[in-house]
Amino acid sequence: MSSTKARSAKGGCNVLGCPCTGILTRTLDAKGGCDILVAVAGNPNVGKSTLFNVLTGEIAHVANWPGTTVMIKRGQPVEHQGRRICFADLPGIYGISASSPEELAAREYIISDEPDLILVLVDSTAPERTMYLPVQILELNPKVIVALTKIDLTHSYGIHIHVDKLEKHLGVPIIPVSALKGIGMRELLNTIVDAAEGRLKLRKTPLRVDYGSLEPYISEVANMLLKAGALRRYPARWAAVRLLEGDPKLEEELRAEGKDDLLERVGVVKESVRRFTGREASELLITARFEFVDTIARDVIVRVERDRGFSRMLENLLQRPIIGPITSILMLFSAFLLAFAINIGFPLNLLFRMMGLEWVADLVETYSLSGILSMAFDWAGTVIGDWLTKYGVADWLVSLLVDGVIPGVGSVLTFLPLIMLSFAFLSALEDSGIGPRIAVAFNTLFSRFGLTGRAIYPYLISLGCNVPGVMASRSAIEEEERVEIIYSTQFIPCQARLVVLLAFTASYFRSPLAQTTLIIVIYMLGFAIALFTAFLVRKVLFKLSEPPELVLEIPPIHRPSGKVIWWTTWDFSKHFLRKAGTIIFALSIATWYLLSYGPLGPAETPETSWGGIIGRAIAPALILIGVTGEKAWKIGFLLLNGFIAKEGLVEAAVLVEGASSLPEALRGLGLTVPQVISLLVFSTLYVPCLATLSVIYQETRRLKHTFIAVLYALLIATAAGGVSYLISTALGL
Amino acid sequence: MYTLDLVPPGGRVRIVDLRGGRELVSRLMQMGLHPGAIVEVVENSKGPVLVRVRGVVIALGRGLARKIVVMPLR
Repeated sequence: MSSTKARSAKGGCNVLGCPCTGILTRTLDAKGGCDILVAVAGNPNVGKSTLFNVLTGEIAHVANWPGTTVMIKRGQPVEHQGRRICFADLPGIYGISASSPEELAAREYIISDEPDLILVLVDSTAPERTMYLPVQILELNPKVIVALTKIDLTHSYGIHIHVDKLEKHLGVPIIPVSALKGIGMRELLNTIVDAAEGRLKLRKTPLRVDYGSLEPYISEVANMLLKAGALRRYPARWAAVRLLEGDPKLEEELRAEGKDDLLERVGVVKESVRRFTGREASELLITARFEFVDTIARDVIVRVERDRGFSRMLENLLQRPIIGPITSILMLFSAFLLAFAINIGFPLNLLFRMMGLEWVADLVETYSLSGILSMAFDWAGTVIGDWLTKYGVADWLVSLLVDGVIPGVGSVLTFLPLIMLSFAFLSALEDSGIGPRIAVAFNTLFSRFGLTGRAIYPYLISLGCNVPGVMASRSAIEEEERVEIIYSTQFIPCQARLVVLLAFTASYFRSPLAQTTLIIVIYMLGFAIALFTAFLVRKVLFKLSEPPELVLEIPPIHRPSGKVIWWTTWDFSKHFLRKAGTIIFALSIATWYLLSYGPLGPAETPETSWGGIIGRAIAPALILIGVTGEKAWKIGFLLLNGFIAKEGLVEAAVLVEGASSLPEALRGLGLTVPQVISLLVFSTLYVPCLATLSVIYQETRRLKHTFIAVLYALLIATAAGGVSYLISTALGL
Repeated sequence: MYTLDLVPPGGRVRIVDLRGGRELVSRLMQMGLHPGAIVEVVENSKGPVLVRVRGVVIALGRGLARKIVVMPLR
């Protein structure tokens, strides 16, 4: 399994020293320049990312999503007492039964001799549940240190843990920590150094859980393994327990060792367990292990009822049948309106227009974040252009910079504020514990379309930008659901499409009410088509009739941490900048070329450029959405630009019409109202932009699927555009 | 014996059996939902069933709750 060994190349190699893959680095220097290597393991939500971030000063969040590739990422080394301590971040897991790729990757890493120590995290606010993982790991590998996380919150939940008693039970050092409050971090590092250098005694042998009536069977299998010399890289007792529980990986290894007969004999033992107890060995073993945890928990944990006031009230409210979902939708809705309002002034601008306060609306638009940023880039373009011309730089180069590069960079940066704001709101909801409750609230609706409530996250992110929305599909547990999300998110109108909608509606409709209605209808259409697409993918592509199953931990509600919000936001934005940034940048240069050059060299007008020629080629097809005649090639040209980047659609209108302002350019196209409506419906749905498309390819790794996604979108958009043209004509609009 | 989706809010039951694929069953068991475990139903109306097990609240889709066989305590 090569992905098990996958890791970032950061582990101690400098820029020049690591020209090859991680594999080579591994053989040359397994420790990668670290004196002590610590593997960090813990359940999801246990506070692992937070601890990891604080320890290494790095932000590792997205890397640990459940997904197709399992990365064991190593952070920057931490200097402590003159030693370089490195931390390897294992994926969030509930156990090491190897029933998922994450569990298998973590287990392989734990048994390899690579880590000096394994740091297992136990959530001090949910100790009974999270203590199961260290017990499981200790059965396999005794070199464990346990950190009790979120220790600053324990008492407010009415929990008290006797740390010294717990140390005796498990026989390992236990350090209470709070990464956010900086409690216990020094002690943790001291313990790590002392343990690694033998000054502190760790366990010598694996932990022995008493499996009661199953012990004879375990000994029998263990003896069989020892006698046959099978599965020698694992402790015999542990391998015996795992074989009785049923472990696909170990069974595969036995077969690879040519010990199929052994496997059969294990089957016989399992059968006799079933005959004598009437229950499966796996059930009995897992129950016994939990009972072992319970016995310890009863001895070391004291719980008292605590009044948690507002948090408790909010929890009750959000869990109510009808009020809960409504409240959560309202919360989401206002969060997004706020993000939109700050960034592009919408919907405040329309509100002010409705009240007849035209000048206030203009002010809101001009001084919204994206308004200010685009002014800055316009200004920079003009200044740099003048300056370059003054110093005699070639015309084509000035044009490339001023018309291609600067607006390209600008378009990426004008998206950044909304994306960051959306992520900040979402991670605040997530960290506070409200997010999972929202996912629960949406589950009933979404399950009709073959999704779980968790899909609400990628959809919401897509309202800002589809690129991270597609990436967020990784939060799905089931592979089929992940694919459903990848194909459907492209129909959620992103901010760039909102810009197009706003520009056209403002130019063609007087009444702010008509503008708002049209925009809302198109948004609802986008969501409806997204859900329908998910349904279609599940039914037709995967031929599944059952919706995916929701399994989601619902943490208690608490005040979100500013640090965590910032980490998530920055991590996501960084990914966006890197992925979308490079693509949009490259594409804006390509667009510039298409618009400035034609078959005869530099193009005098857009009509004779490559872009114009392609637009003309698209034009005949536009009859399907009601656009015909001389303006058809212009619309084709606009749509080509919109494919490259959605907001490019309106910018191209200015070029084509040679107009001085956007409304003038759009009106200059001379569209009828039904044509505007069908064009807007079509342009919202027709294809994801190139950046989104490239991410769809990255996530599916199938060129065929990406191609089908585009064809499907074109089909849906043409149908929806055509129908809306017919309806609006029939209505006499 | 009946299934988890039929337990009213506030009800406490013992899990008897889990029906479903190997990966799903293993995942549920490691989250503490194993045969023999005692769970308290926190909320159960139209949407997912919310259960408290080992001090943690977990949301389970209704289809999933139907696959968990339980029996009343006492």
